[in-house]
Amino acid sequence: MIKSITYQFILFASFIGLTVLLNGCTKEVTIDIPGYKEQLVIDGRIETDSPPFVLLSKSMEVYASTDLEAFLNGFISGAVVTVSNGTTTVTLSEICSDNLPPGTEELAASMFGIPVSELANYQLCAYTSFDPAIWGEIGKTYTLTVSYEGQTYTAETSIVSPTSFDNSYWQADGDTPNHGFSWVTLSDPGGVFDAYKWEVKRIDLDENGEERDQSFMPTFSPVFDDEFFDGLTFDFWYENPYAYGEGYTEDTEWLFEQGDTVVIKLSKMDEPLYEFMEKKYIQLQTAGNPFATPTNIPSNIQGGALGVWAGYSPSFDTLVCEP
Amino acid sequence: MQRLLIFFIFLCANYTFSQETCTVSGHITDASDGETVIGAKVYIASIQKGAITNNYGFYSLTIPCGEYELEFRISGQRTEKKTIVLNGDFLLDYEMGANVQSIDEVVIRGDALDNTNSTKIGQIELDIAEIKTLPAFMGEVDIIKTIQLLPGVSSAAEGGQGFYVRGGGPDQNLVLLDEAVVYNAAHLFGFFSVFNADAVKNVNLIKGGMPANFGGRMSSVLEVNMNEGNYKKFKAKGGIGAISSRLTLEGPLKKDKGSFIVSGRRTYIDVIMRAAIPDSSPFSGSSYYFYDFNLKLNYKLTKKDKIYLSSYYGKDEFQFGNKDNDFQVDMPWGNAIVALRWNHIFSSKLFMNVSGTMTDYLFSFGSEQDQFRFELKSGIRDWGGKVDFSYFPNPRHRVKWGLNYTYHTFTPTSVSASSDDVEFDTGIAQKLFSHESAAYLLDEIDLNENFRINLGLRYSTFQHVGEFTRYIDGGISQPDSTITYGKGDLIQFYHGLEPRISLRWLLPDNSSIKAGWTYNYQYVHLTSLSAVSLPTDIWFPTTNIAKPQKGWQGSIGYFRNFNENKWETSAEVYYKDMRNLIEYKEGALPSDNVNDNTDNLLTFGRGWSYGAEFYIRRSFGKLTGWVGYTWSKTERLFDELNNGLKFPAKYDRRHDLSIVASYKLNDRWNFSAAFIYATGNTLTLPTSWYVQGQDLLFNYGSRNSTRMAPYHRLDLSAIWYSKAYKIKEDPEGNIIKTKKRFRSNWAFSIYNVYNRANPYFLYVDNDGDFLQGNFEISVKQVTLFPIIPSVTWNFEF
Repeated sequence: MIKSITYQFILFASFIGLTVLLNGCTKEVTIDIPGYKEQLVIDGRIETDSPPFVLLSKSMEVYASTDLEAFLNGFISGAVVTVSNGTTTVTLSEICSDNLPPGTEELAASMFGIPVSELANYQLCAYTSFDPAIWGEIGKTYTLTVSYEGQTYTAETSIVSPTSFDNSYWQADGDTPNHGFSWVTLSDPGGVFDAYKWEVKRIDLDENGEERDQSFMPTFSPVFDDEFFDGLTFDFWYENPYAYGEGYTEDTEWLFEQGDTVVIKLSKMDEPLYEFMEKKYIQLQTAGNPFATPTNIPSNIQGGALGVWAGYSPSFDTLVCEP
Repeated sequence: MQRLLIFFIFLCANYTFSQETCTVSGHITDASDGETVIGAKVYIASIQKGAITNNYGFYSLTIPCGEYELEFRISGQRTEKKTIVLNGDFLLDYEMGANVQSIDEVVIRGDALDNTNSTKIGQIELDIAEIKTLPAFMGEVDIIKTIQLLPGVSSAAEGGQGFYVRGGGPDQNLVLLDEAVVYNAAHLFGFFSVFNADAVKNVNLIKGGMPANFGGRMSSVLEVNMNEGNYKKFKAKGGIGAISSRLTLEGPLKKDKGSFIVSGRRTYIDVIMRAAIPDSSPFSGSSYYFYDFNLKLNYKLTKKDKIYLSSYYGKDEFQFGNKDNDFQVDMPWGNAIVALRWNHIFSSKLFMNVSGTMTDYLFSFGSEQDQFRFELKSGIRDWGGKVDFSYFPNPRHRVKWGLNYTYHTFTPTSVSASSDDVEFDTGIAQKLFSHESAAYLLDEIDLNENFRINLGLRYSTFQHVGEFTRYIDGGISQPDSTITYGKGDLIQFYHGLEPRISLRWLLPDNSSIKAGWTYNYQYVHLTSLSAVSLPTDIWFPTTNIAKPQKGWQGSIGYFRNFNENKWETSAEVYYKDMRNLIEYKEGALPSDNVNDNTDNLLTFGRGWSYGAEFYIRRSFGKLTGWVGYTWSKTERLFDELNNGLKFPAKYDRRHDLSIVASYKLNDRWNFSAAFIYATGNTLTLPTSWYVQGQDLLFNYGSRNSTRMAPYHRLDLSAIWYSKAYKIKEDPEGNIIKTKKRFRSNWAFSIYNVYNRANPYFLYVDNDGDFLQGNFEISVKQVTLFPIIPSVTWNFEF
């Protein structure tokens, strides 16, 4: 966390310095970018007590159309996808959004990236299994194999031991007495590599009597490792990633409001997955900054595909935002 | 190599003359202020023999005894003559221009004949007075921007201070201020140089054929010599510009014996920003400024001894604050440089300089938000000593030898972080210590009237010593481990011979062919993660993992002067081969070296560059200037980058054209123009996008496979000088001109006259919301500088 934050701060400060001081101007240009080749993209996930879920798609040329319909309907079917936990190997079934088995809607919605209510409107296909023998278990390593168009791709991920917060609390920000960040006290296990991902959703009910947030959302810089705080106990905060845009002012955006009920999902991950996530968020946050190095995100997939096979070990904490 | 050494020793043997010889030697100074003159020529037409003053204004000419008329030439515009009778060794200190009344700034540079006569290949001297007449960005006269207009030299990016010489990296340039190394020659993210033109006397760029007295860098030497100050009278000069002001004071410590100069400048961007950013803005705590000071003291202890103390101190201070988030960044960086030198004349033929130098560069970054605090520091400190001897046995033979030593202390990155009272474990602050030393011998001999050879041999060593902690990554199967070295323990030793040779074959019609071949080792490296130069770029020494850079360069050129040496022309071709070049591994972050070593994040490869350079220059008359054109190709090959395939260097430029002209209309007006055209820089852009976890991610293609649009720009300037003389009529009706004590000029500049939107960088932008169906990807070009007029008022009294 600290190293990526430090790096980003330096880049940010340099960039701000440059743009504030020099007031550069920007225009759209068309330029030849040679070297495009189509690659398979694997977006697979397995969590404790959840089925494996794998989406397959293809990479698109930079200048290709970004039509949502075409993309959503472009998930690949016809691949053979298996997951093994070392003793059991299961071939995943292809399921489609308009015909999901009961109980998988929320997971599917979060993987597809659309609200549960819209699942039926698209023909989105993914690979999963409802055989509990292959659902995520702490301490196991899962091997993914994808065979498609004569190519085979493999990846491994582990579900590591989870770590819960010691404590969580809400604290008003100085300028805005009814708004503040979510704070936690974390005791990091000593002597081992630990990496975390922070996601939240607010579960207090809205005017329609529904939970305010349908799914967990990662924060702005949601992954961090324990390189600098291995074995330490310390307090830190995270922002509310839902609180921006319409309805929020400069004083209230990114903050939780007094009275919010928030579920914090703190997922642990193994080192290769952290490598992917760390570089992914650096890429997302430094896009367009001339001081950033163009970095490809290191995949844990063998065989030339993009994406990641991600094993998460979450723990959950419910925070009521009251002083 | 053995044959080469035997040949070398043969040439070093004393060259004997059948006649009895006498030596005339001394210093040449400018009569107006007593400053020594670098590159002035002492010439005897009757025997066609001459000598050129060195960096300390010293010359030595050994000739058959007799009566001669000596010509003293500076700038080619002025020649003064003095008859002497030589019947023994003769010490002649000469003051140029003692009887000349001129309102112009004296243009002091090597004689144009040097273009064809000397063995210098790939060397260009620039006159500070000439630089001052050229268009200046935001009114700041800039030495480095001017050398970027020379053939074979490219700028890193729009306005950048980093420069690339013949395909070498920016760390491969040895930048010297009065013999002390300058590690970061840039202010304001590279838009201004640390060299205050008012404090600078002369600039010399060596981009090929590096003589053996220079080393430690692979590509070039940029020698910047500071003014010594006025030995005759107290003077002040300065300027008030759009973004900064400067003031220089100089005068005698003791008339004709010692002098001082102190020069300072400061920007007021912070004042402008404070005015521009209202208090209500969340960014009202943001500001930026830089300042620098130069100080030089000189004293002639005896006729044969002179000491110089030069110093520079400069700092950039950038602060960024966001009140809304209680977020504060403080980012200062800067150089401190001191050089103490002693010149001693042992005899009319033997000159010695001893220097002690200290260079310190420090970058720090601190940020605070709520209870979190981060601090990062990196820097380098050098303590150096050197001794150089110049021996002039006869006019056909010049010898130099010497020793250099530097003790380096590198602090690649030192990080600390805390949250309230919990101090995070950021490892021990790493420092790396090393000894770098070299001995050299250089011999220049005229084998006959036409053929001159300059042979050099340099032997360099480098020792990486403790204290040091080596971090060893155990990978997945083994735990990480460390090796600790105690203070002074030898960790790694490198050494190597660096032979150098330059040849000149004089041809009829004022022309010559020159060739040069040099072999260089470089023991310090600049590791950079970004596409543009940043103060965060880290200097790092050679270690047992990071090997010394090494390589050779060969060049050959045809040089010819026209129209009584008024026009100098040259055409050179070169090839440069570089090994052990350094880049970060794919995906490395600069702060990864916490609890690790920077060199564990590096990968090593090779590079090569070849090209042709054409140069036409006119230094005489009302119209002066030059045209430089370079065709070149520069590539890199790293096993661990770009899938092991070669790729163009980021500053690979096929075409680079500069046209610089200055026209002196009369004593009151000077006009100048500079036009630049360069092939666009390369960069790495994404070739494809994909979606993972609802986020759109980019996949990058081959390294530096995309090329930006060509860069071109026209700058203009005009300088209006106040009247320099009062004209009176005496009682007899004679017109009497007296020089005004106070003089001033207005310098008007227009940068980027036709408002070309040159690319600074490109990025792939994604706009809209993918899930809302209004998503678009486009390539955006950022341009920094539109047309920028500026005006500066300069004065002196």
